[in-house]
Amino acid sequence: MTKWLRETLWRHVTGWIMCAFAVFPLYLVFLSAFNESGSLQVTSFLPREISFANFDVLFNDERIPYLTWMKNSLMISGFVAIVSVVIGAASAFAFSRLRFKGKKFGIQLLLLIQMFPAILAISAVYVIMERVYKFAPSLGIGTQAGLILIYLGGAMGVNIWLLKGFVDSIPAELDEAAKIDGASAMQTYWQIFVPLAAPVLAVVSLLSFIGTFNEFILARLFLIEVESRTVAVGLQQFIGGQYSENWGPFAAGSIIASIPIVIIFLSLQKYIISGLTAGSVKG
Amino acid sequence: MIIRGKVATTIKVVLLALISAVLLTLTQSAFAKKEYVIAAFLAASIFALNFTYFSKRTVPLKFFLPGILLLAAFVITPILYTVVMSTYNYKTGNYIGKEEAVERIKALALEPDENNSAFDIVVGQFQESDALLVSDIVNDLYFISTPERRIELNKNQVELDENLVAQGVTGFMRADAGEISASKAATKRYFYNSEYFITVENLNVGAVFRQSLEYLPQQDIFRSLISDAIYRDNGNGNYVNPDDKSDFLEPGWRDPAWFTNYVRLVNDERVRDPLILVFIWTVVFATLTVLTQFAFGLLLALALNKPIRGRRIYRSILILPYAMPSVMSILIWGGMFNTEFGAVNEILGSNIAWFQDPTFARVAVILVNLWLGFPYFYLVSSGSLQAIPSELLEAAAIDGANPRQVFSKVTLPLLLQILSPLLIASFAFNFNNFNLIYLLTGGGPREQLDGEIAGSTDILISYTYQIAFGSNLQDLGLASAISVLIFFLVASISLYGVRKSKVLESFS
Repeated sequence: MTKWLRETLWRHVTGWIMCAFAVFPLYLVFLSAFNESGSLQVTSFLPREISFANFDVLFNDERIPYLTWMKNSLMISGFVAIVSVVIGAASAFAFSRLRFKGKKFGIQLLLLIQMFPAILAISAVYVIMERVYKFAPSLGIGTQAGLILIYLGGAMGVNIWLLKGFVDSIPAELDEAAKIDGASAMQTYWQIFVPLAAPVLAVVSLLSFIGTFNEFILARLFLIEVESRTVAVGLQQFIGGQYSENWGPFAAGSIIASIPIVIIFLSLQKYIISGLTAGSVKG
Repeated sequence: MIIRGKVATTIKVVLLALISAVLLTLTQSAFAKKEYVIAAFLAASIFALNFTYFSKRTVPLKFFLPGILLLAAFVITPILYTVVMSTYNYKTGNYIGKEEAVERIKALALEPDENNSAFDIVVGQFQESDALLVSDIVNDLYFISTPERRIELNKNQVELDENLVAQGVTGFMRADAGEISASKAATKRYFYNSEYFITVENLNVGAVFRQSLEYLPQQDIFRSLISDAIYRDNGNGNYVNPDDKSDFLEPGWRDPAWFTNYVRLVNDERVRDPLILVFIWTVVFATLTVLTQFAFGLLLALALNKPIRGRRIYRSILILPYAMPSVMSILIWGGMFNTEFGAVNEILGSNIAWFQDPTFARVAVILVNLWLGFPYFYLVSSGSLQAIPSELLEAAAIDGANPRQVFSKVTLPLLLQILSPLLIASFAFNFNNFNLIYLLTGGGPREQLDGEIAGSTDILISYTYQIAFGSNLQDLGLASAISVLIFFLVASISLYGVRKSKVLESFS
């Protein structure tokens, strides 16, 4: 018995405490989402009644275009996730496999760039896009198109770097064999690399999706009109602005917004964790 | 499915033609708006795209050109532009180019006459020129004023309303609001006498002004027409009266200031002192974050390293904070720390104003970051624990080490070695953890009344953001200088981390 105490009990106690810590805020959000009073308080540990009033506000109040925000977030993140991986994979293949002048310099530059926190250049991005707005109002500051372009540029460094690491790990014999059989670089890419890398491409793409979905400050700075906002910015403004202290609808909104991300994350757990140990940190 | 031959070529040509057309249109409009650098970049992109995809000898470029163009446009250019901006005097009041600033100074340099005369007016057309129908009721005078001349009217000719304001006269055509904005009639200056002119204040009122400053382009100075004072370009983005340095003209323009912004970081105590405090807190924050996250993660990893009952359930619950979108979690925590309505005070039975007190605000920041990050270190630590060969642990036990000694002498040093690149990466990430600070405390609490820009929980990056976009005085030049500084700090931390992982690779 004492041995069990010493060996096993402390493990359960630690597990219990940390689980409580981990779950507490999430449980609270569920409570206030289904509670009409709408503050992040523990009115009781079990919900007395279940009310959908907060969800009703989200979907039916004209001042809160929640569904539009959600649609904006999903579209922007989806577009960035797919396009950045399509472009990034081709670049990664070139940097890993093809021979060309300045490759070493390119790789070093890439290493440096992907370390650069995008947020540091935020004032420059802002000023540049202000200038772009002067001649192309559909691409400059205040537009989703402009924001997507910036996200794509920002995702490029990390994506190329991650994917290059993966291509490096594919045995060179495979494409050497293809080369001997007379395949061009294009053919090697499409017929050997892409099928082999498909799962990894999907993972990197979903990671980009999560990263873009979570991006806050560029979206905050860029998307001025209420209708064009992403869900993160919309919800932040929602509790920061004229509806302050109105936590009920916020809780409901954040639950819905989190569901796709949590599902993606849990289904990719295995890959993400192996990617973690390769040295990437989720934002 | 692989597309080959003629079909592929057709698709390629059509796609390239489309992209080139779009880029060409953009180039033209950029050129028309005098954005020459952007125009040149766009033109170069068109050339590079067409050359690469039509030539047979540019195979590697075919693969990485789109990526490189995006990187060049939206990452490398902003980085370089940040460096350029850091050498400019670029802030509120000095935001526009010099030419534009000269035009604005000219337009703003208005001096009213001694009576501050203002008249009722009607805006319209007279003899095919923009004109005002002016009623000087005080002096019982009526006249039409065009930009060039003034035509006196006899009171009997004029249609008057009950307030004796002229509403019309033969030959004068009243304009409606749409016509006025189209002809820009309201922005013109109308003749009053040889010195003064009338400007349109609103569609019913005109005021009498004279030009108070004249610009002499040859000498590049402004001369006051009233006091004869001279205003010279001070080389720092403003026209200043050499006899009285505090007398300068608004607005200024952005001007090369070379290393002024960097010198301010060292010499100007209003910039330097907050910067040092913020820097210290940034380091403390990042260090404490990594330490607490790692400590709790490792503790959990050790606790759940044995196949105890419910391990899978523990694991799935513990991963949840990490799976949630962090923006949402941070906002939720912000609500929980609310003084009156927050759950934290409720549970502690306390009444702490978490975000109004510097110490409590810092504790809250670290606590929330612990919640956000400990699952990450739990996951990587348990992975690494399994990677430690059990022979090593057994050997130590056979040599008579007790479990505590095995942990501190064998397990921990090995773990630290395996995880050190991750610890460094996490440090670098938290060094710039803008979202957490911005969304949780906004950098506060700060004494805004004392003119403080730096708050108690501001880290370097949120402080920089505050300087660039936050307060009334937006100083992009200074913010850029700090950004460059941060970049060197982060780059050296990260390079150190990369080197560590390289060292590890060569071991394994």
